[in-house]
Amino acid sequence: MPNPLERPYADLKVVELATDPGGEMTGYLLAGMGADVIKVEPPEGSPTRAVGPWLKGEEGPDDSLAFWYYNSNKRSAVVDYRTKDGMATLEALLAGADIFLCTLQPRALRSAGIDHEALSRRFPNLIVLSVTPFGLTGPWADYKSSELVGLAAGGPLFMCGYDDHAIPPILPGGNQAYHVAASFAHKALLVALIDRQMNGGGQVVDVSMHEGCAVTVELGNPYWFYPKALVERQTCRHAQPVRTQPAIFECADGKWVYFVLVVAEPKPFANLVAWMDSKGMAADLTDEAYQDFAYRQAHYAHVQGVVECFFLVHDAETMFHEGQERELPIAVISAPEELFEDPHNIERGFFVEVEHEGIGTFKYPGAPYQFSAFTSVPRTRAPKLGEHTNEVLGALAGEAVGAS
Amino acid sequence: MTYQTDVAGRRPHGRKGPLAGLRVADFCWMGVGSLATRFLADFGAEVIKIENRLRLDTPRRLPIYKGVVRAYGHEDPNPDPNKGGLHNNYSRNKLGITVNMKTEKGREIVDRLIAASSVVTENFAPGVMERWGLTYDRLKELCPEVIFARMSGFGHTGPYHEYRSYGPVVQAACGMSFVSGLPGREPSGWGLSYMDNQAAYTNSAALLLAIYQRNRTGKGTEIDVSAVEAGMHMLGPILLDVSVNGRVTRGGHYPTGNRVEHPHAAPHGVYPARGDDRWLAIAVMNDAEWRALVEVMGNPSWAQDGKFATQEARFANQDDLDPHIAAWSRERDCHEAMDALQAAGVRAGAVQNAQDLNEVDPQIAKRGLFFELDHPVIGEARFEGEPMHFSRTGMDNWRSAPLLGEDNDYVYREILGYSAEEIDALAEEGVI
Repeated sequence: MPNPLERPYADLKVVELATDPGGEMTGYLLAGMGADVIKVEPPEGSPTRAVGPWLKGEEGPDDSLAFWYYNSNKRSAVVDYRTKDGMATLEALLAGADIFLCTLQPRALRSAGIDHEALSRRFPNLIVLSVTPFGLTGPWADYKSSELVGLAAGGPLFMCGYDDHAIPPILPGGNQAYHVAASFAHKALLVALIDRQMNGGGQVVDVSMHEGCAVTVELGNPYWFYPKALVERQTCRHAQPVRTQPAIFECADGKWVYFVLVVAEPKPFANLVAWMDSKGMAADLTDEAYQDFAYRQAHYAHVQGVVECFFLVHDAETMFHEGQERELPIAVISAPEELFEDPHNIERGFFVEVEHEGIGTFKYPGAPYQFSAFTSVPRTRAPKLGEHTNEVLGALAGEAVGAS
Repeated sequence: MTYQTDVAGRRPHGRKGPLAGLRVADFCWMGVGSLATRFLADFGAEVIKIENRLRLDTPRRLPIYKGVVRAYGHEDPNPDPNKGGLHNNYSRNKLGITVNMKTEKGREIVDRLIAASSVVTENFAPGVMERWGLTYDRLKELCPEVIFARMSGFGHTGPYHEYRSYGPVVQAACGMSFVSGLPGREPSGWGLSYMDNQAAYTNSAALLLAIYQRNRTGKGTEIDVSAVEAGMHMLGPILLDVSVNGRVTRGGHYPTGNRVEHPHAAPHGVYPARGDDRWLAIAVMNDAEWRALVEVMGNPSWAQDGKFATQEARFANQDDLDPHIAAWSRERDCHEAMDALQAAGVRAGAVQNAQDLNEVDPQIAKRGLFFELDHPVIGEARFEGEPMHFSRTGMDNWRSAPLLGEDNDYVYREILGYSAEEIDALAEEGVI
């Protein structure tokens, strides 16, 4: 039995052939819980290495911050799977692996001579985890995708943008189509790992980014399933079948807060009015008439206007803490640089320091979950291109010698 | 009101799937919690949703009904708890029981249920489980090596741990809203509680990790997931641009709407298509894709202009480029244009709405993502499947969501061993 202090994936060997952030994030999630992830790259490197932002703005295969973000805690081995020798090396690596994480679409798989079903038969304990834009089957299986195309065809994009529909739907930030793919890939892999524990043997797992996005639309599908209504995008708040009031408020310091003015429930409304009144800004909202829900509802636009004025003369951070103290769900719309300075994030130690020898030590996001019985692997920098080629191929050669 | 609940197939029975035999005492509610444990139920776990008749779960109350269109904020003051489509969507494949945790007997029943389970899940405001005495230490007494999954907006420690949150609040606090929008304007953010989905996925993964680890080592664990941290974890490379390069995003030209800073894709945008509020997304990454796009557009003369000759030139001249693309796309059906462009090797996608996903998209239809189940009150309804195929494992979709208290008899009698008379008495006293 493994040491209970050992991390869940400590005995897993993963071969990653990932060419997009979805596959690479999946590999990082595995490495973060202790798996030995060997990232197999062609001589020119993973395509992610060619995407910025760049370290100090200088392009280079080892200087892509996009690559850094998605490839912590892995080893990099240059193996050109498009050549015969490279394919033999890949297969030798797979013979000793638990998981083959691959993002190639069907046409690319055929052209590389990779057959997931055949691999699964040849290595019965191997879990082949395919994470592709549209899945391995179906009429769109070889369609090309991107972050924008993924969120567009998948459904979330239609729901995001501004009240003004002359403006097209607007892409939400941060590679979220790929993050959706990675989230589902990790869950799917865990289903297969638990199945392997219970029943023995690996299998082929086929995760589709497109379908992942298509079920990541929250109310979008239920509104179609039940009332057959389409939701319409609104500025920084839920797309709905009918228009609703704005939910972001500008503050004195130019920052915005998100706050839903709930007039339906008496308690939050009373808390809000008491708060405004404490600063002499409740205007007529203290009138007894507003204790009646129907009256509040009928005068919603006026209430909204008074509340807008209230926010406009106070700083966002003040509004956040004072509102929360009055049990109102409110938050500052924080910029990335503000997250590192946030006292809550600092006290929880969310951001971690990662050393890049000779360059510096930088803050990275820590793990997305905390366990009392085990911890994530401390985050380390992404590998340089081919940094571990000799080590990985040397170990293979050693195994071959040992076996003969 | 009584419903016919003893219809064939609704009575709980043995489940299929890798999680069969795993029992979960599930206090989760709201979208984020319900979605987190749904994944376990989909793959065979016996997830027992614990509900309070006096405080209905929000998805049961939200007015997402067949035949009635209204915003989800426009709640029915007296909702039928079994009519809500959102609850049906989030709690399919689960069992449902009712218990009043304000009563001593109710808390005794739950102690017995936890002792008969091996996973406990919750996403209340911090302090609620403690008020009921249900700390991790107490759960371990009831069920050695229990997995106790706690999910909240800000996590269970830190100065904001008691702060209120739901999806959009989390999105604001984790940076996700700020990084979405046109430059120089208020953020467009998200038109959905994206972080309810993603925090739920993070929670499901954490639960499965803990189950996998317990299968290996025999040891249980407590889990703390903060939705804000789950969001910051997936905010993307901009975080490193800030921490490594010292970039300041506020007050500048960030974010950049549908254009991206990296890679230098152009055209890269959402262009009008034929019809009302129909759009087409196009992302051209290199010269080969550009030539294919120009070919599909019929080799217009404007495309020969030197300012569009290279990827860098196109990237620099997007203001000039985009109107040409829009003039071409607005005459075209978004799906036909998508197919034509994809056939030529151009990354393109119709901006699909829920109707498209359900009724037009041939890929989703072919792969059978959505499925149907009957429901005693709602009738036949569609459900979102899981976006994954396994060569030898699958979802076990056995039942639509439980009616309020539908499985009281099964759980209290068959699992916990109460007699029919005891159950009647508990119901009469308002305990269940």
